Parts: sequence; structure tokens; C-alpha cells
Amino acid sequence: MLHYDFMQRAFCAGGLIALIASALGVYLMLRRQALMADMLSHVSLAGVAAGAYLSINPTLTGFVVAVVGAVAVEYVRKSYRTYSEISIAIIMIGGLSTAVVLMSLNQGVSKSFTSYLFGSVVAVNKTELWLMIFVSVIGGAFLFLFRRPLYQITFDEDTAKTGGLAVNWISLAFSVLTGMIVAAAMPIVGVLLVSSLIVLPAALAIRIAPSFNAAIVISMGIGLAGVFSGLSASYELSTPPGGTIALVLLFILVTGISVKKVVLKYGTKRFRKGNELKELRDSPMPRFSKDGLSTKSDSAG
Amino acid sequence: MLLASLEQVVFGYSDVPCLEDVNIHIYSGEFVAVTGPNGAAKTTLLKLALGLLQPWEGNVHLAPHNADGNKLVVGYVPQHIAAFNVGFPSTILEFVRSGRYVRGSWLRRMSKIDHDWTEKALRQVGMWELRHRKIGELSGGQKQRICIARALAQESDVLILDEPTTGMDQESRFGFYELMQHQVKERGKTVVMVTHGLSEVKDHLDRIIELERKDDGGWKCCTMTSCSGHFVPVG
Repeated sequence: MLHYDFMQRAFCAGGLIALIASALGVYLMLRRQALMADMLSHVSLAGVAAGAYLSINPTLTGFVVAVVGAVAVEYVRKSYRTYSEISIAIIMIGGLSTAVVLMSLNQGVSKSFTSYLFGSVVAVNKTELWLMIFVSVIGGAFLFLFRRPLYQITFDEDTAKTGGLAVNWISLAFSVLTGMIVAAAMPIVGVLLVSSLIVLPAALAIRIAPSFNAAIVISMGIGLAGVFSGLSASYELSTPPGGTIALVLLFILVTGISVKKVVLKYGTKRFRKGNELKELRDSPMPRFSKDGLSTKSDSAG
Repeated sequence: MLLASLEQVVFGYSDVPCLEDVNIHIYSGEFVAVTGPNGAAKTTLLKLALGLLQPWEGNVHLAPHNADGNKLVVGYVPQHIAAFNVGFPSTILEFVRSGRYVRGSWLRRMSKIDHDWTEKALRQVGMWELRHRKIGELSGGQKQRICIARALAQESDVLILDEPTTGMDQESRFGFYELMQHQVKERGKTVVMVTHGLSEVKDHLDRIIELERKDDGGWKCCTMTSCSGHFVPVG
């Protein structure tokens, strides 16, 4: 399978998107913006329609409009701070309705819309691959360099602000990056796969990860495994790659959650029978200590 | 040294102001309590002082530097943090260590000093033994403890605490007040704390700021100095 050029490009582009989108997904989910990818891809469609109408490269206009949409959602989000998803719904309605109206003005666009909706990971050309590599490098660098501020902002923006972080600028940069990744990935994998790669690996990783860093790594691993196994299955079964990858990711999510429930069930039984209960019973009550001495010595005193 | 001041501040969430003519000055090395009934805009007052809300009128000033000329580090412990409800996948150790991020650049490696401060802060709040637990598994009182630990780990010059003893048992509350007094008296920190348990903490305090209802239904801000008739001297 890998001796075909198109499959090599598909694995390369799919792998890059899997890594960057699934890492991004952890932050988006915790910021209650899990549907951001859906929103940006719908908004991006308005750009594609505008590009086709104005005879400009639709990929380029889609890219620009997605970035503008990402900036817009950041501003609307401030009006609905506790319910970030409302800002996403508002911008999505604006984007999709614009796309529909622009599409009706130019009936010839309908065909290219289908390719943007479902993408074609096995028909990736070199330009799209290079654009994806470029965006992935920028995205990877941003997520690595800003990992500590992003952790603080994702946890709580108020405490991050009082800690001296430029929360508004970092948050804006994060949204723009999300727009860039979605717009670059959309022509390759389609609207469906972009959101599945952002939401599904992160949804499982957040449930099973023992720590925040582990959640990012696990999410990237799940995304990569889902894309590679989905592409292989798609090749062997002659099924559409986008849908197959999304189904594989969904299968991984359901299996992961089921396994965790089983582990928790048996783990709880072991906990009841084992020494952990005694250990918990014998452990000292947590106490405040002025000098930071261990709680054991506190309790002894 | 004057750390924070609010002068003639007016603020409201709708078209009616909830705070009017607020005049407060906070000096370094003070242990101050903010008190008042529910809905008296105590949290709003803290957020105004921190710059998280912008006043309609008046001036808010927070000193950029501490008495040593270094950047002023503010440790804020909010009343509620939404991330606790969404199952934030972080360990206690990771969370408290994030308090050290304000010290130095984002990219530097965590040093032994950072680890020592993290451990000390966790031991001060009695949570060191649970450091590998996920924060989503903690009780309300334990969540408050780790938020306090994070503020302690960042070596804050000022601790701004919004009802930090919510969910704590009585013994823990007394231990916490002693810890805060230690921070003020021995370490020269400033503590501003919203509380409903004034009777428990008043022996440790330097000053009380009380929000009282005005005749027209709004809230006004009284301090020991401006409304001395309302309070029994403390400290």
C-alpha cells in the first residue's frame, strides 16, 4: 500500500493533522470550545463560496475567512464567558448562512463544496501537503513554547491574568492558530474529519490520562493510531477514508471508555479488599502547617 | 508601602451601580478581611482591585513593584473555578507547580528551588501525601487547599483570597488563619480575604472592610478608619 505516492502523501498529511489537531483538541475541550473546529470549517465554507464567486483561489479565501472567524469568536466569547459554546454557535450560524447565500448566487460552486465537506485525504497534492506541513510546524511550535501559559489560561483565565499573563493576546493567538489548522486541514480531510480528529482523541485522553501532559501525549497517540488504522482499513475495504477514520476514532473512544469502566469496577473491588483502605484510614488528616513540615509530624504533635 | 488603592470607585453590572464611592487603601504587611452579607459585591470589590473588572468611575491602582523593587506577584484564589467541574486532567503536583511559572521564563526547566517551593506549599496546606491524585477527585475543601498552595508556591507578595475557607472544617479553618497570619507577620506578605467567619478570624486581622447596605438599596464600603463606630478594634 505504501509504495503508492498518493498513499505516502495521505499517511504524511493525515499523520500531521492527527498530531496537531488532537493536541489542540485537549485545550479546546477544556475551554469548552470542542465545537470550534466544526464552527471554523463551516465559516471557512463562506470563504470558499466567496472565493469561487469572486474568482479567487477558494482555498486561500477559506483560509482567510477561517482566521477571521477565529478572531470573531474570541470577541463574542467575552460576552458569554461561562458558556463559550454559545459564541461558537453564533459565529457558525453567521458563517453557514453566508455560505448558503453566496452559494445560491453562483450555482457552479456546489460541486466544489462537496469536496470541501468530505475532503479527500488520498488525493492530497503537494501544495496542500506543504501548506499542512507549514501550519503544523507553526502550530507545534506554538503549543510547545506556550504550553505553560496555555495550561494556566485553560485552567482559569482570571488567575492567569492576575499572575501577569497577557491572556487576551495568547487566547487570540490560540484561536487564530485553530483557524489556520482547521482551514489547512479541511480541503484534505473535510469538515467531518477535522472535528472528529479534534474532539474524539481528546475526549478519551481527558478521561484516562493521569496528568495534563499525559493527556496531550495520549490524545496525539490516539489520533495517530486512528488515522493510520483508518487509512489502512479504507485502502483494504475500499471505503471513504474520511468516514472510515472517524469511525475508527469513535470505536477507539467507545472501547476506551468501556475498558476504563471495567477497570474502575474491578479496581474498586480490589480497593475494598486490599490494603489501600487501611492505608487511607491510617493516613493523617490534612492539616495546615506554618513551616511546611510533613503532615505526619503534625498529626503526631 | 501602598500596594493597592480604590478611589471614588463606582461599578455595576447592569445600569444600576452595585458599588458606589468606594475608597480603600491596602498597605503591604496587612492582614485585611472583607466582609458583608451575600450579594454585597465582595467578590466584585476584589476583582476591581485586581483589574479583572474596570470601574465605571474612579481610579484603581495596583502597585507594579513590591517593596524590594521586584515585580509584584499577586496570588489570587477565586471562590469558584469552572475547570474543577469539567474534570481538568491534572495532578495536584502539576497544578501547584504551575504557580512557579510566574517565576522566570516560560521555557526554563523547573529547578530544585521550584520543586522545594512546591513541596513546601503542599506540606503547608497538608496535601503533600495526595500530590499524585487528580484534582477532579478532590473534595471542595481540598480544592481550596490546593488553590491556596499554588498561591503560596508562587511566593506571592499579596494573597487575595475569596472565601478561602469554604468547605473547610473548623480545625482546618483555624490552622489556615494561623498560616495566613504567619505569612503576614513573619514573611511580610499582604493578605486580603473575603470571609463570612469574622468572629473566628478577627484576632488575627489588622483591618476589616465591611460592605453595608445604603438607604437607597446600594452598597457602600466602610473601613475601620472611616466607620470606626461599626467595629470593635481588632488585633
